[in-house]
Amino acid sequence: MKKIIAVVIAAAVLALIVLGYINTASHSAHHGSEAKLDPKKEIFSHLCDNYGWEVPFDHGTRMPLPIIVQGEDGAWHCFSSARLMPEGEYEGFTIAPDGDYAGKVVQLRPDGSQYRPVDLSITKNAAALLISALVVILLVMALKRHYKRNGMKAPRKATGLLELIFEFVYTDTIVPIMGREAKKYGPYLMTAFFFILTMNLLGLIVIFPGGANLTGNLAVTGVLALATFLITNLTGTRHYWKEILWPEVPTALKCPVPMMQLIEFIGMLTKPLALMVRLFANMLGGHMVVIVLILLIFIFTNSFGSAAVGGGTAVVSVLLALFMLALDTLVSFIQAYVFTLLSTIFISMAHEGKHEPAEAKNE
Amino acid sequence: MELFKPEFGLVFWMFIAFLALFLVLAKWGWPAIIEMMDSRADLIDKGVAYAQEAKAQLDSAKEEAAKLLAEARNQQADILRDAAKMKSEIVEAARAEAQVEARKVAEAAQLSIDQARKESEHQLRQEVNAFALMIAEQVLRKNMQDDAAQRQLVDRLLSEVEKKN
Repeated sequence: MKKIIAVVIAAAVLALIVLGYINTASHSAHHGSEAKLDPKKEIFSHLCDNYGWEVPFDHGTRMPLPIIVQGEDGAWHCFSSARLMPEGEYEGFTIAPDGDYAGKVVQLRPDGSQYRPVDLSITKNAAALLISALVVILLVMALKRHYKRNGMKAPRKATGLLELIFEFVYTDTIVPIMGREAKKYGPYLMTAFFFILTMNLLGLIVIFPGGANLTGNLAVTGVLALATFLITNLTGTRHYWKEILWPEVPTALKCPVPMMQLIEFIGMLTKPLALMVRLFANMLGGHMVVIVLILLIFIFTNSFGSAAVGGGTAVVSVLLALFMLALDTLVSFIQAYVFTLLSTIFISMAHEGKHEPAEAKNE
Repeated sequence: MELFKPEFGLVFWMFIAFLALFLVLAKWGWPAIIEMMDSRADLIDKGVAYAQEAKAQLDSAKEEAAKLLAEARNQQADILRDAAKMKSEIVEAARAEAQVEARKVAEAAQLSIDQARKESEHQLRQEVNAFALMIAEQVLRKNMQDDAAQRQLVDRLLSEVEKKN
């Protein structure tokens, strides 16, 4: 009986999520029928950052968020995005409708040209970041509190799931790879894992606390990859640097033309770049496919002009979107895990004191 | 395309959020949980090791007991065998001693018998000697009553001596 209830609730939640997509899309389609449905613009407006946060069932209004900008004269300005949205001008700032800075806050010069100020606004993505961080803190503290209260008793239900994930990532992945160093680098790796996982999962929920395409944004994945890059290279052992600067290859390959050094140096950079792009592309792709599937309904309805075609497409699209969302849930976990796993391997490889196995060196 | 151009503001907030999250969790979150996990793993490992050890001890105790029992049995058999051997030895020794003793007694008896016989023989000889002398005296006294016979005897004896010389 409990199982049936759980399935019903899960189905309802997923349906709500899809409904959110349909709703936002339908509103845009509604606007589009007045203007014209532009699928590309529609997709990217959902994937990109915004100065406001969509409200469910009403695409027009957005929750205002603070805009923090430094004008050309160096003065800082802080005001609500409600003053600029959907359009408006405040203290000389406005949101550029088009041009190089389309969709961004710009300062209007007297001569009509645009100046892009230093923009530290709490945008939708920035707000979602803070919310995600808060959620992670709450989750981890909940687990810690459980142990404080119940000692070594294994937690049940949601806390048990948390512990399961923690054990899976820390005890079964980080510790076997890093060994004694696990305690030192575990906190960073676990923070990265839970942060990415939370951002991924929150991104799949279309309504308020979620819906931001965080990990499908290069700024977010870039900072994470940079953190791994810095830890890898700043804590690298002498052996690690020797492998890069003076690898064990015939001298002709490294001197006078530093060919191997160049290759090793590129390898040093590609690792974090791959981390950054992998997470970004996976999450972006997942979001994009769902949006495109939902948009198909309106594209077909528009081009065929028949409600029957639209209805038929809707059924198929919603089913496919549901499937994609379920897949994205899996991908959310896998990508967070892969990022953590690879970070762990990169860091522990930089700490190799002795000779690495031959095949690892040839890579 | 905007999607591929990281926005500075977002990088800034991501940096802040991630750093803050890391600092908070690294200070108050993870160490406590990791320590708890480690101590729990230790406890479980210890428990398993303890159980294994206890089982091994139990097994070895059983073995030990069986060994002790077998040893005791062996010892018992040994003791019994020794006792039997000792018994026969004692009996044998007693018998040998008794034989030696008996022989000694017999020899002593023989010796005293021999001595008694010799003594009696000696005595007998002396008595016979005395009797013989007595008889010879009587015979001589009767025969030497006349001088003729005495002279005759002396003559004969003298002649005998002469002959001898």
